[in-house]
Amino acid sequence: MKLRARLAVTLGLAAISLLVLLGWGQSRWQSRIRVDALAEAAVHRMESGGRERCEANPERWPRDRDARRRRRPPGPPERTLPRHRVFAYDANLISANPDSPAFPPDLARQLKAGDDVATQRSPKRRRTEIAVRMPWNEGPCAVLLMRSKGPPPWFSAAVLMPAFLVALVVILVALLAAGPMVRRIRQLTDSVRRIGSDSEEPVHVEGNDEIAELGAAFEQSRRTIEAQLASLREREAALRNYIANTTHDVMLPLSVLQGHLASLQQRIEAGDTLDAKAFVPSLEESQYLGSLLHNLNAVARLEAHEGLSHRDPIDLNRLVERVVDRHQPIAKRKQISLDLAVPETTIEFPGDLTLLEQALGNIVQNAIRYNRADGHVAVILEGSANQWALRVVDDGPGIAPADRERVVEPSFRGSEARTRHPHGMGLGLHIASDVADRHGLRLALRDTHGGGLTVELIHAG
Amino acid sequence: MSNRILLVEDDVALGQQVVQTLSQAGFDPHWVQDGDAARGLDPDDYRVIVLDLMLPGTYGMDLLKRYRVKSEVPVLILSARDDTADKIRGLKLGADDYVTKPFFPEELLARIQACLRRPNLVGTERLVAGAIQIDLQRREVSNAEGTLSLTPVEFEILALLARRKGSAVTREALVDAALDPAHDSSRRTLDVHISRLRSKLGEDAIQLETVWGIGYRLSGGA
Repeated sequence: MKLRARLAVTLGLAAISLLVLLGWGQSRWQSRIRVDALAEAAVHRMESGGRERCEANPERWPRDRDARRRRRPPGPPERTLPRHRVFAYDANLISANPDSPAFPPDLARQLKAGDDVATQRSPKRRRTEIAVRMPWNEGPCAVLLMRSKGPPPWFSAAVLMPAFLVALVVILVALLAAGPMVRRIRQLTDSVRRIGSDSEEPVHVEGNDEIAELGAAFEQSRRTIEAQLASLREREAALRNYIANTTHDVMLPLSVLQGHLASLQQRIEAGDTLDAKAFVPSLEESQYLGSLLHNLNAVARLEAHEGLSHRDPIDLNRLVERVVDRHQPIAKRKQISLDLAVPETTIEFPGDLTLLEQALGNIVQNAIRYNRADGHVAVILEGSANQWALRVVDDGPGIAPADRERVVEPSFRGSEARTRHPHGMGLGLHIASDVADRHGLRLALRDTHGGGLTVELIHAG
Repeated sequence: MSNRILLVEDDVALGQQVVQTLSQAGFDPHWVQDGDAARGLDPDDYRVIVLDLMLPGTYGMDLLKRYRVKSEVPVLILSARDDTADKIRGLKLGADDYVTKPFFPEELLARIQACLRRPNLVGTERLVAGAIQIDLQRREVSNAEGTLSLTPVEFEILALLARRKGSAVTREALVDAALDPAHDSSRRTLDVHISRLRSKLGEDAIQLETVWGIGYRLSGGA
């Protein structure tokens, strides 16, 4: 059912109910007045000569209508009273007139209970009966029974018809009055349906009422949804960009690795005798590939500001051992000495295990990758939980002082870093720098005494 | 104790490689490829368990929890996902260490040996490094040639290196532990003490290695 029809029906039903209730109350009130008037008129008539006529001829009273019409007693005009028949009874409720009906038992009970006037309605037989006790208690006319015909007044068309007419008017008024409201709701519905489509039209409803407030709430929700959609689109674009960059980054070392392996195969096919060193470039490239993927993962997390979602106490001694063990195979193959030193007492530091390990791994990998054969790399953890330093010392070519600041800039764009040094140390040190920054550590680069580079991660406490 | 190592790894190629590596290193690997098979095994039958986290039929963490209920056997996690939460959860559940894929076979071996070494790091009154024997209580050092006459500083240096046999110790740590800061606490003084110690060790001096960029290391012996 449409809103307008529902409103009209609701108001119409409410009006009918109210009017019926008022009509019923009014009819009850009128009925009571009518009973009182009949009782008063009956007593008055009997006192004005009716008693004498009744007692003179109780077997026939009140059949003598002509005489009654001739001498109408003073008092309330009977035409204002409903048409009724009267029967006389003695104090024991027995009538001398054989035409009189037996006295109704309900009325008898009311009189015996002490009432002077007793009434009963009988909707089934469509009549009302009133019993009136006379001021005297002797003789055959001590109680009068009046019986009027007709339905109970509250079922009369006189009460119900106006109710239906008023209800009809109310329904028509409601239909007309609901028009503007329904129009505004339809306008709101159309606006809300446009949310999520390409239209950027705001949800707006004129006015200062609840419908306008609903419109404002929808507009607020629309803006939130639009912002979330924009953010999702942005992330989707970034993801696509990330996948494209990653594919490019991975393809390069993969191509180099394929080239190394193909070269090895050709040399074997040509009858060359290969020594262990021949496989070093392939192994180094495969390790670089693994490290690159870990780095790209780290970049994705850092760019998404998820860098420190996990801060757990990290055993730095174990972390150093793990990183050195990871890089030991490639260092040995490149004939580079890789050693570590950690304090006897374990140093714990709250941080992101994966990112810190990746940061140190990058520094160690660079120290090995850019070192010469027979070079050295040492990883040293010193200090205590409150104040410690993690140094990676090498005797390789080092980094020119002018370039040092640039490679440890704490904030960077991953894609920029990759394109700047797609196959070099740029990404690794940038990640190390960013991870250090997010952990409150200082990343410092300096010359190694005697030549080479020393990279330090310092926790100053 | 046997050299049995339980490997729980579903990937056939990687499993074969690891089994080969472990066998060549003198271990006795027992390889199971799914969690259901691993669930019924007694962890105390093995010296080390190498556990992959992503397994068909179960999750490696569940196996780890199950093993830890009744056993303290070292467990090394193989993690393909670069996920910190996974590693931390594994370590909290009682794993001793983890190795992130991809890895060189030597790296895995080094981590397994680190797991096996760890319980032996408890202090003892007698330290042995090859032929060199150190009695910490009587403060005596001997080798195949007999008891050596060491100064207190030389003894402290050797004892510290022997306690951390196989590991490099920084010059700073040796200076702090053995030298008197009020007198001769310079690195150069330490080098002089090391030189004298080497001459007293005779043929065993080869065990006292100089580690570039760090300091010294005492190697040798089982």
